[in-house]
Amino acid sequence: MPENIPQNAGYMVAAYIVTAIIVLAYAASLYRRTRGR
Amino acid sequence: MTLASRGRAVTAVALLLLVGVYVRALAFTPLERFQGAAQKIFYLHVPAAWSAMLAMGMVGLASVLYLLLKDQRFDRFAAASAEVGTAFCVVMLTTGPLWARPVWGTWWAWDARLTLTLFLFFLYIGYLLLRQAVGDPPGARARYSAVLGICGTVLLPFIHLSVYLFRTLHPQPIVLKPSAPSLPGVMLVTLLYSFGVFTLLYIGFVMQRYAVGEESAHA
Repeated sequence: MPENIPQNAGYMVAAYIVTAIIVLAYAASLYRRTRGR
Repeated sequence: MTLASRGRAVTAVALLLLVGVYVRALAFTPLERFQGAAQKIFYLHVPAAWSAMLAMGMVGLASVLYLLLKDQRFDRFAAASAEVGTAFCVVMLTTGPLWARPVWGTWWAWDARLTLTLFLFFLYIGYLLLRQAVGDPPGARARYSAVLGICGTVLLPFIHLSVYLFRTLHPQPIVLKPSAPSLPGVMLVTLLYSFGVFTLLYIGFVMQRYAVGEESAHA
């Protein structure tokens, strides 16, 4: 086990937020287009 | 129950399961000792790449079937799959650099895997633009789109094999390879769970998008 695990959690947080935004935005877009059908 | 409402239900379930992926990956999957927390991007990046490739594969399959059978439903399915695949491609192309920066020391490298993946994204964009641009004569849009869709599918094996054929920064597959997955069990379970959720998301999205296309065709 390395003495120091790299401190790069910021990149992970950014990736998880970006993924959530893209997926939710697309889901919302489809919901808007299919609403009432 | 209409196709659109069934698609919304599948998507809702998939989104709930995606929350489970986040919880499992962030709280219950151990840190990789050399890459640190950034390695956990793997649980989103790889399944997103899988869904983007799956989508293009389905575009190609539907395109071949359209050219053979001239059934408009295959054309509509290809269009739906292409749009959904574009969304997953965006996830793949944003999470990739966010993982590469701390691990490789650079956001991007013009090597075979990354460049071919970017090309896949441009193919998706080109496919969607082509569908908007071509109107007449009737059937031309579907025919031209089918040809482009098949070209996109031909790209998929090159993307997968590029890490074997060329020198590249991108690691070789650790799951989709001839030998057993080289990943600890707890990480593998998280990854496979995420694969399942992204596949379900793809299905839910395509069902809804297909319903949109069907309604437009009958309008």
